[in-house]
Amino acid sequence: MTTDRQLDEVLAELGREHRAIGAPETLERVLCAAAGSGKASIGMPGSRFKWALVAVVVLLAAIATGGALWQTRRSSQPQAQQARSVPAPPLRPESSLPSAQDPGRQDFQSKSAPMRKAGSTRVNLRNSSSKQPTWNSLDEFVALPVSEGLPVAAELSVVRVRLRGRDLQQYGLQAPADTAAQTLLAEFVVGEDGLPRAIRIVR
Amino acid sequence: MFERLRRRRQDEALSDEQLHRAALAGSGEAMAALYRRHGGLVYRFTLRMSRDAAAAEEITQEVFLALLTQIGQFDAARGTLSTWLCGIARRQLWKYLERNNAGALFDVDDESAAEVQCPSDGPAELLLRHEAVAAVRAGMDELPPALREVAILCALEEMSYEQAAQVLAVPVGTVRSRLHRAKARLAVLLRAELVDTERKRL
Repeated sequence: MTTDRQLDEVLAELGREHRAIGAPETLERVLCAAAGSGKASIGMPGSRFKWALVAVVVLLAAIATGGALWQTRRSSQPQAQQARSVPAPPLRPESSLPSAQDPGRQDFQSKSAPMRKAGSTRVNLRNSSSKQPTWNSLDEFVALPVSEGLPVAAELSVVRVRLRGRDLQQYGLQAPADTAAQTLLAEFVVGEDGLPRAIRIVR
Repeated sequence: MFERLRRRRQDEALSDEQLHRAALAGSGEAMAALYRRHGGLVYRFTLRMSRDAAAAEEITQEVFLALLTQIGQFDAARGTLSTWLCGIARRQLWKYLERNNAGALFDVDDESAAEVQCPSDGPAELLLRHEAVAAVRAGMDELPPALREVAILCALEEMSYEQAAQVLAVPVGTVRSRLHRAKARLAVLLRAELVDTERKRL
């Protein structure tokens, strides 16, 4: 019986010694990271979900705002840009390419009701006539000198392209020296044969 | 320091279940709190059973990671988190012991204990304390794993029979009988140590 009592005493001492051993602290960091980098706070198990919900709401709001802005911008843009891909309606030669005898500017649209209907594409042609169009006049559609003598186009389309100022030479136009190396945004009126009939410098 | 105190107080205020839920929701702090609360028990148990600090650390880590991966496995109604963790640790330990040929794991036969002769009870006053403790400690390590785990949980960790039964997934009666056998072996070793000490003195 004495040994049993002694054993209990020894076990009690051994137990105290045993319970003094602590868990390695290195594991705490590993487990902390494993659980989620310790970002969520104790006592708020759903906080991570709340943040996720807030993030989703913010994202949706941003998308909605962006969409509204895009719609606003789209509606405020000239309708001509929206209808750019719409092929222009048949154009009568006398209206599309004013002859040299036509005086001054001629409003192409005024003689092309179907085009207004189709896409409200305003295509105002200046008379290229006998003299070369000036650079300042290219803010509106001007018949290209090189288009003279081309067959009458049954269908016209507006094509927007980027090109250098010096490239205008091949269309019979002379760009100012300072714009020769600049990239320009231009719109061409192109016939169904793919040949340009008129040009406008957008920017 | 104040932060640590505040954190400890916060840890104590929350139940294991609350901390577990928070850990599952991604709270590293909750996980750390659970580890601070139960890590020592799991680590000591695995260390004493495996006698290998690296293995004990690895198993302890796996046990706590199981808290995150085995979602829904822990049922507070069926037992405490500490016993559930020790149960997982025990399963991992047995796998480890099997891999390392730890001998007959379920050998709980105590016939050999009866063969050890105990010439006399011996005078307790002649026993040097540290020698007795060392002898029992060594004897504990020599116990078959099935007896050792009961001795660790009940004698060293001071778990109740019911808690130990939950950890070991055996009936309470089995825990009681295994602990009795383990103590009988240790008592024999202790008696032998006492006799040896007495002889040395004389």
